[in-house]
Amino acid sequence: MLAPALAIFIAYRLAPLFWNMVLSVQHWSMFQAPTFAGLYHYRELFLYDDTLRQSFENTLIYLASSPIAIAIAFALALLLDRPLRARGLYRAIFFISYPVMTVVVAVIWQWLFHEKVGLVNHVLLSTGIVGKPLHFLQDDQLALGAVIVASMWQVIGLYMIILLTGLQSIPATLKQAAASDGAGPWQRFRHITLPLMRPSIFLCVVVAIVNSFAAFDLVYVMTDGGPGHASEMMITYIYDVAFSLGRFDYAAALTIFNFAFFMMLAWFANRMAGGDAGGGDGR
Amino acid sequence: MSEPILLLASGRRWLRSLALSFLVTICACSSDSAAPPTTLYVLTFNMPHMEAEFSLWAKEFRRLHPGFDVQQIDRKGSNWAAYYHTQVIAGTAPDIIDTQGAIWLQYASQGGLLDLSRYLERDRDFTNQFYPELIESWRYGGKNYGVPLYFTKTLLFYNKQMFKEAGLTQPPRSFAELMSHARKLAGTGRYGFMTLNFDWLYWPLFAMNDIRLVTPDCKRAAFNTPAARMLIEELAAATAEGIISPTSWTGRWVEPNGMFAAGNVGMFNAHSTALLWIMSNAQWVNEGSVGFAQMPGDWSVPNAHALHISASTRYPEQAWDFIKIVTQGSGALAFGKKLNSPTGNRVVNAQLREYFAQTNPMVLDVLGTQFEYLDRMVANWPLARDTEIKHAFYPEIQSAILGNKSAADALASAERKVNHILSRPGGIPEDCG
Amino acid sequence: MAGDAALSRRGIAKWLAHLALLPASALMLIPFYWLLKTSLTGENLFVYPPRVWPDDPNLFHFVDVWYAVPFIRYLWNSVLVSALAVVSNVVLNAMAGYALAQGFRGQRGIVLLLLSSMMIPFQVTVVPAYLITRELGLLNSHLGMALPLSSTIVCIFLFKASFSAIPRSLTEAARIDGMSEWRIIREIHLPLSKAAVATNVVLAFVWSWNSFLWPLLVARDQQMQTLPLGLAAFLSVVEDTSGALYAFCVMVLMPGLLVFLMAQRHFIAGLTAGATKG
Repeated sequence: MLAPALAIFIAYRLAPLFWNMVLSVQHWSMFQAPTFAGLYHYRELFLYDDTLRQSFENTLIYLASSPIAIAIAFALALLLDRPLRARGLYRAIFFISYPVMTVVVAVIWQWLFHEKVGLVNHVLLSTGIVGKPLHFLQDDQLALGAVIVASMWQVIGLYMIILLTGLQSIPATLKQAAASDGAGPWQRFRHITLPLMRPSIFLCVVVAIVNSFAAFDLVYVMTDGGPGHASEMMITYIYDVAFSLGRFDYAAALTIFNFAFFMMLAWFANRMAGGDAGGGDGR
Repeated sequence: MSEPILLLASGRRWLRSLALSFLVTICACSSDSAAPPTTLYVLTFNMPHMEAEFSLWAKEFRRLHPGFDVQQIDRKGSNWAAYYHTQVIAGTAPDIIDTQGAIWLQYASQGGLLDLSRYLERDRDFTNQFYPELIESWRYGGKNYGVPLYFTKTLLFYNKQMFKEAGLTQPPRSFAELMSHARKLAGTGRYGFMTLNFDWLYWPLFAMNDIRLVTPDCKRAAFNTPAARMLIEELAAATAEGIISPTSWTGRWVEPNGMFAAGNVGMFNAHSTALLWIMSNAQWVNEGSVGFAQMPGDWSVPNAHALHISASTRYPEQAWDFIKIVTQGSGALAFGKKLNSPTGNRVVNAQLREYFAQTNPMVLDVLGTQFEYLDRMVANWPLARDTEIKHAFYPEIQSAILGNKSAADALASAERKVNHILSRPGGIPEDCG
Repeated sequence: MAGDAALSRRGIAKWLAHLALLPASALMLIPFYWLLKTSLTGENLFVYPPRVWPDDPNLFHFVDVWYAVPFIRYLWNSVLVSALAVVSNVVLNAMAGYALAQGFRGQRGIVLLLLSSMMIPFQVTVVPAYLITRELGLLNSHLGMALPLSSTIVCIFLFKASFSAIPRSLTEAARIDGMSEWRIIREIHLPLSKAAVATNVVLAFVWSWNSFLWPLLVARDQQMQTLPLGLAAFLSVVEDTSGALYAFCVMVLMPGLLVFLMAQRHFIAGLTAGATKG
């Protein structure tokens, strides 16, 4: 029963991971046989690689923005968790950005952030928030932010749907019982809603982590990691090292490093969500 | 079961059987079979819309080698390497590849490209058609690896109208003049100078200030000098004041070309291919309105294309014959006409000159600059790790010019990184520099 | 009266909700509007200030794109790859979710394995995946493009959660009746997990539709390319003609959005059905 799905994973996820692990301790140019390298690449990674440091920081910043997106989505879900007219319409509107191809999202937002003809600058200038147009995608500080905004726009609908599902699975009777017991809306939220929403929130966090890999397309099209490496993420850096520089051996070491980091992250998220993630989401 | 579920289930079943039948058909039709004729693959670098010319070449090739065929795979510049590297690892490297700029160096140094010296020696009549400097351009470690496909190097375009308005009559002949011209040309919404920045195209600015990238033995960085610091500080100041367009440092191709085409830039350092783009986007561009000159010091950076044969190919002779079809005679002529660009072949260029004289006289003017001062080409070091060094050097310089770092910090940081790259074993040929 | 007060409080709450939701919706929709407007007017990159209303809308750029690119071919390829991915996702994930819901020895280990696989970004797997695909003889084929995307861990867990909620008695009864495990899944579990199925379909579709890097490497012939590839290639050639680029984006989006809009009724319906049960 489990076999076919498991086969796919072994072939397309685990085997590649193993390949990367082996490669990370080898010297390998694409055209010649590999030779043993020991910890050469890992030494390079930890001691000499400035770009890695920056990519890592940027990835952290990117991940740190997901609680904000999740919180906004939560607010939206709460607003929609009531019998409103046009609720279905609202739901569709918020979710519709997710099925959009990430490349298209990147193209749209690259345009919106353009320093001359972008809508964002137009609005900022006409409302007087800034005096000169901002070069979002060429600015050291702002480029990453622009990518994050684009990614939030794309994924917020998905978070909202997940959270809404979670909210709607909380029995109304529970809330009513609490209300008649005299609990105010904030207390109801804190003691009933939030705890029961833990699995949904955890699912959102997992989606956020997986989605950070999808940021690849966004960065690739909007900024190409630039200016310099200001918006470089781990995933785009690994790709660059492997496919632009042809250094698959070093990229493998970066991959293992990246993997280890995300595993730790997932472990933390799991602990905070209260343990066995495999069984916790949904019912 | 309720209606919608039935529909859903039956819909899925229908879809499944449809999918299964397609699976079978597609598996049968599209598996990689070595059906005759034997096909050679040519991976081109950002050359779409060449179907007509390619079929011309293919026809000639089939005539020459019955039982063989040739197919073009084109990849956009940013995807080219991903595709090529994957093919190499899978053991199915394309027989012939077309590269731009310096990317071939890495592959040559790692043994991925076939040494063509033997063929060039054997077919002297063919080899002599090319400019010797160009043949030399694709030499690494004493061996030749490429045949020039088309050639382009940087020059200075200038807006004659803006020059007149600023009271300037001649293009600049020194760095100081370049900067003073730029100052006079700049104004509201107008820039005095702009340059392209990918693939080292801005390097003439460094060359004319006597700055070298690496030491003569190519083993250490040599650019962290007071001259370099002063240059960067001056460029940063000029960019901040709006004399040099910031797009010089942040744009890639479309934006800078577009700005010159919009008539907002006095001088533009770009390679000759830019002309075509500009012309197709600006009605006002003609011999009277745009001038062409060498950059001060006559320094220029090449950004040419060459054809190489993969070391792993099983048909080197046939591959070589295909390359000859493309780079000489009617094959190359068709190519040059389509691209509106000179090839590396002198004989063909002479014919192209006549063609351009009738169809597009401006291209002739530009052509003139392309084959002058071939001995003053810079930024063409035979460093196998050129791409890595570029990735390490340029972001630092860019950062400093845009005012995010001091020039001294940027240069020190870049020097550290470049030295580290150069210290790794391999990647520097014996006859470097 | 207390009832009236409660009603008006709810009324105010509703209005406040609308007040917050409307601008939020507008923010979400503006990028789409911008896309549509630029595709209809083709404003050059250097026109400033940007106009809010389309000036002289026309379909010129759509025609441009239609003739410049084998759009139908690319669309077909994308549809086929996504269809394969969606179908295999539902089938494989349901089976896997069923196995996990039933429980077996060593389950904990498998679950951990699957969870950790999620932390492997796709980009780092492409080269080995390419080699495997080559061994399978599936290079340059639709199946080859769909295979790595044919099962997703998130959806397996969704199915597991959904199946776990189904009373064991039902399953036992069906087994006693002599139904094969396959039929049990198809006729009992799946119909009761409409939300999970719908979610699976939408997610699998989105991920396979968007897939760019994998088809880039696997589709060698131009005939096999999918829409994102076509778009990327288009970007390189006509980078300057913004109108055409945006027209292509709109044309690329349309099928995806249409499918989504059609499916979302089931999707949302499935979700609400699940909710009212609890």
